[in-house]
Amino acid sequence: MQEIARSLPHFGAELVLTVALLLVVLVDASGMRGRNGLCRALTVLGLLGALPLGAVSGRVADEIWSGMLVADPLGAFFKVLLVAASLLLVLAFTFRNSSELHGLGHGEFYALLLAVTISNLLLAAANDIAMLYLALEMVSITSYVMVAYLKGDRLSNEASLKYVLFGAVSTGVMLYGLSLLYGLAGTTSIPALRDFVAAGVPAEGRGALYLIALLTLAGFGFKTASVPFHFWCPDVYQGAATPVTAFLSVAPKAAGFAILLRFFFGALSTRGAGAWDYAWTIDWVQLLIAVSVATMTLGNVAALTQTNMKRLLAYSSIAHAGFLMMGVVALSENGARGLLVYLFAYLFMNLGAFLVVTLIHHHEGTFDLRDYPGMHRRQPFLTVAMAIFLLSLMGIPPLVGFMGKLYVFAAIIERGPAWYAVVAAVNAAVAAYYYARIMKTMIIDEAASERPAIRLHGADFAWVLIFVLGNVLPLFFWSAIEGWARSSLALYARL
Amino acid sequence: MIGLQHYLLVSAALFSLGILGVLTRRNAVNVLMGIELILNSANLNLVAFSRYGAGNLNGQLFAVFVIVIAAAEVAVALAIVLTLYRLRRTPNLDAADLLRG
Repeated sequence: MQEIARSLPHFGAELVLTVALLLVVLVDASGMRGRNGLCRALTVLGLLGALPLGAVSGRVADEIWSGMLVADPLGAFFKVLLVAASLLLVLAFTFRNSSELHGLGHGEFYALLLAVTISNLLLAAANDIAMLYLALEMVSITSYVMVAYLKGDRLSNEASLKYVLFGAVSTGVMLYGLSLLYGLAGTTSIPALRDFVAAGVPAEGRGALYLIALLTLAGFGFKTASVPFHFWCPDVYQGAATPVTAFLSVAPKAAGFAILLRFFFGALSTRGAGAWDYAWTIDWVQLLIAVSVATMTLGNVAALTQTNMKRLLAYSSIAHAGFLMMGVVALSENGARGLLVYLFAYLFMNLGAFLVVTLIHHHEGTFDLRDYPGMHRRQPFLTVAMAIFLLSLMGIPPLVGFMGKLYVFAAIIERGPAWYAVVAAVNAAVAAYYYARIMKTMIIDEAASERPAIRLHGADFAWVLIFVLGNVLPLFFWSAIEGWARSSLALYARL
Repeated sequence: MIGLQHYLLVSAALFSLGILGVLTRRNAVNVLMGIELILNSANLNLVAFSRYGAGNLNGQLFAVFVIVIAAAEVAVALAIVLTLYRLRRTPNLDAADLLRG
């Protein structure tokens, strides 16, 4: 009872979202008139309420719910980021501007979105490998349904089938690794695991620990879409409805990186004199460097030849997962801060790019890059906005994407092997090619036949503008954002 | 006398069979059965470690939750396979070949 009373104040965001979820389900089931608008309003209200509650959960650094979850500044950062991602999605991507979702149930969609958001928050704050697995599966299962949302659509069905089979196997392999970890350490709590590893694993246990790191990486790799667990990603992104794709490319990936950070920093690293170090028993840093290099290279090379915009952005998001992993691999506070800054930037640039793709599909009915020529005449605003999102994804100053790349590269140059930074830089150059190709198609190429101008709805115009500002403005408030990321790590680093 | 190692051997065998099933079966329902084997091999590990090694009940508790998750996952997966069957009149995974490249 005492534990519940102590935990509840730090659990506000999840509670508000749960209440909103139940209300949405009830309202939708009631069959009343105007329930679609009410469901949307409830979702927006719930997310708006969860935003400050998530932020204040970081005032302490304490285990809650008997050590199942942790309330700390790092968790608060991710809670704000994840709730903001859902909020932006609900507001900017609506049933009105997505012709794919047209005619389908509204309430179920919002209920699923809230369910994924709750489980994302739980995943980002997990402090026990049992909770880690439960939250990871909860994110996955609800995402499977979201991908399958276009019921009669063959592509959506195929995408969800590949997603569910791939996800179930990956998380199953991870669970096997976690069960071995429990056997080795005799505990499921992540802080207790850190104590176990810091005390020095006997020689005969080191091979087992390495195997465990490999097995668990299957689950983390699946959630963050890293090689060699990325195969689902292009198919799922192409088959799912674009708003779902936009959401999956940002929120579950961010939550996946949160738990990757907590697991590899929290359980498998020790903090020596002034600097972090991987626990001397197991060199997971080399393992993650290999994954990161393979991920960014494969993502970028495969993206070069794509013509379907959703598929292209899927490979681009795989490549970004490789860059994001640099922040974990650096194994320093600067690296972790780079990861947070990169995720913040990624939220605005990737959602913005997907919003433009959604709007063009809504008006033109196409995801094919070959239908994009002449866009600068027909819809100059969208063309310029897309160019800004792509430049941000490329990492061109002064856009926010540049800051993300700057921080992770700086962290790697400071700590990591030089060749790794060089490979990443070459990859960033390769990525610039296919982003520039989209811009060239939209801005320079002329359409084969003259087609009428696209008229944007006022709300769509406003939301594209907001995402553009989200890419341009953060630089003017940079010390505040940087300070936020730094303080999110302060307490975590002291643990 | 049956000890921890016997359980671990059985669970490793189950895990391998599950992976084998997932990799070789073409029928989606059979693949799901392979996934069940993987999850249950982990359950066996958890319970055996809890009984013989760790000296606490965390593992058994974990296993109970895994059973619940496995049920939820299979429910969703079967619904998706059912949709596959409705759309293509086959539970065969080879039929799902529209997305590639």
